[in-house]
Amino acid sequence: MIIESSDQVSRLSWFKRFPIPRNFKVTPESRIEKGRTWPAPADAKRVKAFEIYRYDPDSGGNPRLDTFHVDVDDCGPMVLDALFWIKNKVDSTLAFRRSCREGVCGSCAMNMDGTNWLACTRFISDMGTNATIYPLANLRVIKDLVPDLTHVLAQYAAIEPWLHTKTPEPEKERLQSLEERSQLDDYYECILCFCCTSGCPSHWWNGNRFLGPAALLQAWRWLTDSRDEAKGERLDALEDPFRLYRCHTILNCTRTCPKKLNPGKAIAEIKKAIVEREK
Amino acid sequence: MIKNGTTDGNSTPARPRPLSPNIQIYRPQLTSVLSIANRITGLILSLGAVGLVIWLSAAAAGPQAYGVVQSVIGSWAGQVALFGCTFAFFLHLCGGIRHLVWDTVHGFELRSIYISGWTVVGSSIALTVTAWVISLLVAGWPQ
Repeated sequence: MIIESSDQVSRLSWFKRFPIPRNFKVTPESRIEKGRTWPAPADAKRVKAFEIYRYDPDSGGNPRLDTFHVDVDDCGPMVLDALFWIKNKVDSTLAFRRSCREGVCGSCAMNMDGTNWLACTRFISDMGTNATIYPLANLRVIKDLVPDLTHVLAQYAAIEPWLHTKTPEPEKERLQSLEERSQLDDYYECILCFCCTSGCPSHWWNGNRFLGPAALLQAWRWLTDSRDEAKGERLDALEDPFRLYRCHTILNCTRTCPKKLNPGKAIAEIKKAIVEREK
Repeated sequence: MIKNGTTDGNSTPARPRPLSPNIQIYRPQLTSVLSIANRITGLILSLGAVGLVIWLSAAAAGPQAYGVVQSVIGSWAGQVALFGCTFAFFLHLCGGIRHLVWDTVHGFELRSIYISGWTVVGSSIALTVTAWVISLLVAGWPQ
């Protein structure tokens, strides 16, 4: 199947996960146990089952997988609506982040049916049976679907996402031509939901030293900014076997971006810029 | 306030926070499957190179050693392994060319990524079959 746009959902009902043991490389505290099943309301006509990752830090127990039965006729069309329906009507302890409910803020990024996306812009009708919802992959979990983003945000801070200048401050703002401004298109729109970094296998295995697609896309956004005057220093900081070159162009990042941006291309641009300055 | 894995702010965490699952639940896609396939075929080619050295050494050692190696390669399992190595060679070659194109920052639109990916799969199958048909026509079945 040719994927034209990252919002296309895979229709394959088989090969939903790699053929490896469920607990492959899983440390004891991260093992997922069987959770409880919550029945549908008695008067529900159309019911959809959601398997949802639960973790309660106060219980002292392991994460578990609860099954909820959602009355689809009583609920909005998006996965985020289903989460609200569960929280309001079934289990009020279900924890998840959300804010704008329209794909602008990036708060409700999570792993749905095996791929990362925003719960507010994924249709319930696009989910398989049973629908599965996990927190963003490969992050420490604070509670239920709320991952700890401290590390990936620190990696974002590490690329110094602000304007570096050496020339004297101009009297007014630093101007750009329309063409210079257009260089930032498809890069500046990043909402830092970290769907890409969380979906990157290289970041799973080397996340402590590899910056990951989200931070590297931002790095290119500043490298390609005509007003920025620290291109050399920025490239120096990135030219490292791990920080940049752990990217093996797998391109799960470009496949998963809910804003349809292209972290893979941004990283290729950085690699090319490093080669070109050696000339 | 959340500090060091506890919700009450105490400095000693009761237990580490769980890591959310990654490879265990993430859906295989053409992007990741071809990436891991490129690595596995690279590994197979390294092993195949050892086989090539054994074959050449046997040829240099004399007719008796060469006959033994030839009979192993000519066996049913040997032919399957050889066919697998041929496919690994072409998949790795085509995948490598795809990576070279990417290094020039071309073909990164999602549609291009998928078209080039399926092209790699299709052309490596076609090249493998072509190579075997030609070699069988020229050399015939191994004795």
